[in-house]
Amino acid sequence: MTTHMITIMGITTTITPMTDAGLLTLTHWLSPVFPVGGYAYSAGLETAIADALVADEEALADWLDHSLAAGAGLTDAVLLTSAMEADADAATLNDWARALSPSAERWQETWEQGQAFTRALADMGSDPGVPVALPVAVGRAARDLGLRPEQVAALYLQAMVANLATGAVRHIPLGQTAGQRIIAGLAPRILDTAAHAVTLTPETCFTASFGAELAAMRHETQETRIFRT
Amino acid sequence: MFDAPFSSYQRSRGRARVALGATGALTGLFQQGSAKAMLPRTHGPLPEVVFLNTSGGLTGGDRFQFSLDVAAGAGAMAATQTAERAYASPDGVAEVSVSLSAGEGATLFWLPQETILFDRSGLDRRTEVTLGEGARYLGLETVVLGREAMGERVETLDFQDVRVVRDAAGRVIHAEQIALGSGTLAGRDRAAGLAGASVLASLVYIAPDAGDRIGPVRAALGDAPGCAASAWDGRLTIRAMGRDSWDLRRALIPAIRLLTNDHLPRVWQT
Repeated sequence: MTTHMITIMGITTTITPMTDAGLLTLTHWLSPVFPVGGYAYSAGLETAIADALVADEEALADWLDHSLAAGAGLTDAVLLTSAMEADADAATLNDWARALSPSAERWQETWEQGQAFTRALADMGSDPGVPVALPVAVGRAARDLGLRPEQVAALYLQAMVANLATGAVRHIPLGQTAGQRIIAGLAPRILDTAAHAVTLTPETCFTASFGAELAAMRHETQETRIFRT
Repeated sequence: MFDAPFSSYQRSRGRARVALGATGALTGLFQQGSAKAMLPRTHGPLPEVVFLNTSGGLTGGDRFQFSLDVAAGAGAMAATQTAERAYASPDGVAEVSVSLSAGEGATLFWLPQETILFDRSGLDRRTEVTLGEGARYLGLETVVLGREAMGERVETLDFQDVRVVRDAAGRVIHAEQIALGSGTLAGRDRAAGLAGASVLASLVYIAPDAGDRIGPVRAALGDAPGCAASAWDGRLTIRAMGRDSWDLRRALIPAIRLLTNDHLPRVWQT
């Protein structure tokens, strides 16, 4: 397995024999069973659906694609890969996560999930450090897994869009297969975003996520809400 | 020498710096090149500072620096004289740097007029703000894509805008970093992106009372379409997007008046 991955992905000596174990650990952390509670947050998608901005499979795929390339997905991936650097300061990156949050609920979802993630690791007996925003917490914890930052970012982004797509297909509603098609179809964008993220820092991370950010703000005053954000 | 590209003769440079002391009196003024700073007499409690680019617009290679320092306990309202226009330029981007500081307990309202980006323009702008303990800051940025009324449609663009606010210790407390390029414009109707908008406004208010202001601010915005507000951790933000900068400004003015205790820059033609 390890040999195979080296051949296909051109991985060099930076990969340790820990890779397979590391991959198992990471997919556990990012799976829906890990007690982070991602299903409770929609990142404004609930408002976009209520306003009929996202009403079908194509619109949902486009919304998620945009969030990956030029919105919260890219920002999270940059925070995560920055947190994986050996000399990274999690507290400073957490300041950036807060500063870059355009609204209260955007900060709420990344902070609450980061706290839950950190608490879960501590409950399992490790010392994950002080609570920080989710991508910073995941990046910090993934430092010792023997995985490349873009691998970790890609798996993180896939978990993010899978969570959002799963919530959205129930809410619009769309068939389950549509959700699976969307997640699979976003794979190239996920890989592109992860590859782009490793070339950036929080200071050089630019977005153009105006519609999604406005929807997340409008969610705060939406009368009927199922999701927390 | 005659072979030098013509555009190099047109490049504009300008630096303007203003410092206000604790009583609101002018303690520093520096102007160079095509940048000017004016301090019109006002009868209100807040001195006004108006920055101006006398070259009439921005093209590739232009460099401008504007800065305003407000001492602890003082206050100022700052604006730009006119809308800043970034014109088509074949070679490179214009660079504009805005540096603002408000000392401990100071008040600084930064309400520049809109930035109009024409087709094939390039602008790289950084607005960096430093706030002392208990300072009150209001910043508004309005970006307009061309002039739709004049039938212009912006297709090619290279715009990066960084707006960063730090505390006195250098800790980042607010950051907005947007990029508008040709790819974004090609997908200008995408709902998560521009959603068809050609005018984008973003306001941030950072102050000890930011959280208390959200209810009145939401009431002031009313049900204006394309507008929303949020507040948390000593920050209040308002976003607005639409197609008409005049409509957007009109929608925002009641909320701005609320946050500035009814002050608007006199250069705003309201």
